Amino acid sequence: MTRDIDPITLEVVKNALSSLGDEMALVIMRSAYSPVVRDSMDYSTALCDRHGQIVAQGLTLAVQLGAFPEIMGHITAEYADDTNPGDVFIANDPYGAGGQHLPDIYIIKPIFLGDSLEGYAATMAHHCDVGGIASGSVAIHATEIYQEGLRLPLLKLYEGGKPVRALFEVIEKNTRNPVHVLGDLRAQLAACDVGEKGLQRLIDKYGAALLHPYFEELQDQAERMMLAEIEAIPDGEYSYTDYIDGFGEHPDPLQIAVTLNIKGSEIVVDFTGTSAQVPAAINCPIAMVKSCAYCAIRCIGSEEIPNCQGYMRAVTVIVPEGTILNPLLPAACAARGVMGYRVFDAIMGALAHVVPDKVIAAGEGGPTLFSIGGYHNGAPFTLTEVMVGTWGARAARDGIEGISNPAANLSNQPTELIEAELPLQVVRYGLVPETAGAGRHRGGLAFVREFKLLSGEASFTVRADRRDHPPYGLMGGHPGGPSRNVLSHDGIERELPTMPMEALLMKAGDTFRHISAGGGGFGEPLERDPECVLSDVIDQKVSVEAARGSYGVVVDPATCTIDIPATKALRAEMAQTSEKE
Amino acid sequence: MDKSQRYRIGVDIGGTFTDIVLLGTDGSVNTCKVSSTPDDYGRGIVDGITSLLDELGVATSAVDGVVHATTVATNTILEMKGARTACITTEGFRDVLEMRRLRIPEMYNLQYQTPPPLVPRRYRHEVKERLGPKGDVWTPLDEAGVVAVAKRLRADGIEALAICLINAYANPDHEHRVRDLVLSTFGDDLYVTCSADILPEIREYERTSTTVVNAYIGPTVKSYLGRLSGHLAEAGLNVPLHIMQSNGGAMSARAAVERPAYIVESGPAAGVIACARVAREVGYANVISLDMGGTTAKAAIVEGGLPAKTSEFEVGAGINLSSKLVKGGGYAVKLPFIDVSEIGAGGGSIVSVTDTGALRVGPRSAGAVPGPVCYNMGGEEPTFTDAMVVLGYLNPEHLVGGALPLDAEKARAVFSAQVAEPLGKPLLEAAYGVYTVAGATMTRAVKAVSTYRGRDPRDFMLFAFGGNGPVAAVEIARELQMPHVLVPPAPGVFSAFGLLFTDIEHEFVKTFFVRSAEIEPSAVEEAYRRLEAEARDVMAQEGIDGEQVTTTRQADMRYSGQAYELTVPVGAGTPELARMARDFGEEHERTYGHRSETDPVDLVNVKVIARHITSGDLAYDPAKMTRRRAKGDGALKIRDAYFGPTHGLVPTPVIDRGDLTDRSRHGPLIIEEYDSTCIVPPGCQVTLDELGNIDIRLG
Repeated sequence: MTRDIDPITLEVVKNALSSLGDEMALVIMRSAYSPVVRDSMDYSTALCDRHGQIVAQGLTLAVQLGAFPEIMGHITAEYADDTNPGDVFIANDPYGAGGQHLPDIYIIKPIFLGDSLEGYAATMAHHCDVGGIASGSVAIHATEIYQEGLRLPLLKLYEGGKPVRALFEVIEKNTRNPVHVLGDLRAQLAACDVGEKGLQRLIDKYGAALLHPYFEELQDQAERMMLAEIEAIPDGEYSYTDYIDGFGEHPDPLQIAVTLNIKGSEIVVDFTGTSAQVPAAINCPIAMVKSCAYCAIRCIGSEEIPNCQGYMRAVTVIVPEGTILNPLLPAACAARGVMGYRVFDAIMGALAHVVPDKVIAAGEGGPTLFSIGGYHNGAPFTLTEVMVGTWGARAARDGIEGISNPAANLSNQPTELIEAELPLQVVRYGLVPETAGAGRHRGGLAFVREFKLLSGEASFTVRADRRDHPPYGLMGGHPGGPSRNVLSHDGIERELPTMPMEALLMKAGDTFRHISAGGGGFGEPLERDPECVLSDVIDQKVSVEAARGSYGVVVDPATCTIDIPATKALRAEMAQTSEKE
Repeated sequence: MDKSQRYRIGVDIGGTFTDIVLLGTDGSVNTCKVSSTPDDYGRGIVDGITSLLDELGVATSAVDGVVHATTVATNTILEMKGARTACITTEGFRDVLEMRRLRIPEMYNLQYQTPPPLVPRRYRHEVKERLGPKGDVWTPLDEAGVVAVAKRLRADGIEALAICLINAYANPDHEHRVRDLVLSTFGDDLYVTCSADILPEIREYERTSTTVVNAYIGPTVKSYLGRLSGHLAEAGLNVPLHIMQSNGGAMSARAAVERPAYIVESGPAAGVIACARVAREVGYANVISLDMGGTTAKAAIVEGGLPAKTSEFEVGAGINLSSKLVKGGGYAVKLPFIDVSEIGAGGGSIVSVTDTGALRVGPRSAGAVPGPVCYNMGGEEPTFTDAMVVLGYLNPEHLVGGALPLDAEKARAVFSAQVAEPLGKPLLEAAYGVYTVAGATMTRAVKAVSTYRGRDPRDFMLFAFGGNGPVAAVEIARELQMPHVLVPPAPGVFSAFGLLFTDIEHEFVKTFFVRSAEIEPSAVEEAYRRLEAEARDVMAQEGIDGEQVTTTRQADMRYSGQAYELTVPVGAGTPELARMARDFGEEHERTYGHRSETDPVDLVNVKVIARHITSGDLAYDPAKMTRRRAKGDGALKIRDAYFGPTHGLVPTPVIDRGDLTDRSRHGPLIIEEYDSTCIVPPGCQVTLDELGNIDIRLG
């Protein structure tokens, strides 16, 4: 240790910083307007040091936090001589500003003490609408970014403490829902103010000269710990290819290929071999790809690693340009989230070759994005949902149903709030039996969510995945069940593609039902404890037939007991058959 | 003793000890601490009360009432020992309870496990029916289906039932009909809770979870309170028994049996009520309370004399630093709670050094058994208490007024080997590091109730109690730049003290949910009147007639589109909606730092709080407080205590609270008492105020 660091002060400083990140997040959660921010909690907060490096983050979205470094890089490089007290930066552009897709607006405030730049308060929130060809601004059928809404390069929203009115007015005129967008921007600004005040107070107390070395030390400590974790993984090349079903009526699968090159304490995450960019809005700008890669690697490390940027230094990410994971202008990217989650899944698949007990089988595949809009009582309404719900199994335990994707930590929107505010009925929301990937530990069950339009007309877009390529199981575990999108009109059901290339019309009385994919299993199903199978049968999560067919467990439905001799015989027979195969 | 004296008794039960406080109409206060009797808590309580009464020569007939704080509700959930509970829901919504709100309180942990639902899927049944958001019937109730479910419940041996239908907050009819149908099949031995009765509020998961918690703990609380009442009666104490609610008000034992979900945090609430009351007596309305015991530290904020409330609580969530932000670690109960933030730092918190050389205090605890190393009861891991012994803060020979001998040498040896050496620091500096890190951890609890609500802790006085609160208080105050600390008499049993100053209180809420500009004031007035009538009915059932009841109105409001409401007070008479919206805007600015002058405001819930003031005429007289002096011979004692690198090891006078007066003395001082030790570091000034509180001003 070259600098003079007192471990006790380090602990106190770390504590103060992380509580500040959470406090910023709390301000947004409580005072944001749009359901996607306030209920789904699709936003993130972080505090950066004077070099723009993250030193603390709120307990928010893991996959978004790793995306701050890109935009912070632009700010520190392009505004090095033009960052002044009272400035606030805004941006959303993935091409040149480090953004992810247009709905994600970054608000970043440099923090000064006197004239000295001491750090940055950074926030990012998914806004409910930034214009473009479809309500919600996440239309998958956009083919160029110019169709996706308002592009904000890196600009100042406040200059020397004064709001840039022109910019506010442009934003207001380019969204279908200015009340929510401006309200959410206010919440982001308020969170930045809280971060600013907190950091200033911390500097007041310790002095900048003392404090900054501690920030450096936190970064270094995170890096050292991550390097040590990588060091513990045997050297080698580990590859995995996962797939996106593709878009439209006759989808061509898109390939996400990853190779992990581990040598000593170095890890290179290489996406060479990944499909070329496509004319649909699922191209994923590199900010999110890196973020998901960092998140996946971080997940196999110890929980003790400080939540700051230092750990990311230990990971190198290579993505060829012009691919779906590093698209070039003008590729559309509004619905790119699915790629990020598949990046996470692909890395887990690769890591499973070498550290199977630390990874997780594939879950539902990340959020299904559903956005519906129309007119209600003469006023426009929109609802954007990010639907998640299932984990794959782990080496030591079952997957989980009723949980957010491990890379996301999103929430669901209460049925009763939707029904009280919008002309929609939530017809059902719950678990779907028989959808979990079988295994020694089974995956989590899929969920179903069904909406009915109660009056007028509305149009909606949806982006799902994992139908043709359902979530994989590991070590002999079976894949989870496939996802479905069903539109029902006059009692006639129509199966929609996972990613329809159009905005679809809904009339009063029509329903849209989404069934997610189920989680993948872990280990051989025949090794599952029969008591666990029985318990799932009683809970109607697994049928008597599936208990028999997938697990070789014979359950008497009348008494809800296991027929032990029959089970032994069946399992022996099944084991023999599979050996022959 | 004077035969005309009347008495009120407060009983605060914990896992290890039961604290009993007796308050006389002359202001006399007597306390005692007895061992809890987990096989039948009521027996220990009543034995403790009778022996205290005997000791003082007070007849049982001189006692007017008993107020009780209990952990029975919480423990039933923590230990998963509640009733076999079923749940009836609307078709399509069987899994609301298990889906929760999806989020979990951790990132990057792929091995996470969610808490199992209190009602497993096999006992969750759907019935065909559907209400709309205005309470209109979209699909009538399928009564034959309900009867079929009822038969199934019987066959499954179900003991408690939660009925939670979608949109029932707007119309309770279907739920009540389901209840009646089930009970007519079942007979009486089923404990039933309807969601519309316990929490007629919008948001199905929170309402369902609250209803399920109530049903799950109902039968246990019912038998617990039944046994306690029996023991009290046997001892000749045929007096009203009241139970402390999580919101700081008391309710009759009978009401608690119906609504046990209201009492899950009764102990912590009592401490805050005590703090608010004592602070008010000495002229402070804005106070932050800090209650540090053996395993956790709890903070709450009192503003304008009133404890801040919240309705976001999870039972069994463990001690999570970010529980304010991310839920999902426990079981949601959306009822009024005093907003108490809890952190895993207490006397028994285990001190460790991580592989990377970081010092950790808690959240693991050595508990009461084996306890800290210095207790010499088998504890091998160093704790916060051991560090305090090393520093010279705690008496190296004994604790709790001499009842518990300590082994300071052993504490030093273990602390040195397991903490100081791995840390590469001298013994005293390492121990002081524990004091600092524990202080920093606890400041998070204080921030969670202050800065997280937009309040600046520097504007508040820190009120410290619990066995360890007075040890750590000044360090926390210094960290947060709070200028003033108060330590009440008998800090170790202070929570029980709060029970004596509790009013009977019930809260009533109804979702209204309409944009405020569109509301008819008369409709709001009507909603309030209806709640007030309900309040008077419930109070009448408690034996309190209308004239003794005061009601206050509140409204939960938000900007249209927001997900979280803020509560604002509403004056009597026909509500002025513009004024309510303005008050809301001000509160929004105070809490979050911004407001809108133009955005529409929603009125989400109307609330009525009904109170029967029973404590107003009660007062305590510090001169008539039996003070158990710490063991000692009265001779001046000096002990070396370490106050950080700046001051080093300082010979520090060890005194009794009684040695302090209104004349200011300088720190360092150690004030040793029967049940706690107060540390006054160098640079602080200390006096004793007129009510016997230790008053510390930070330099």
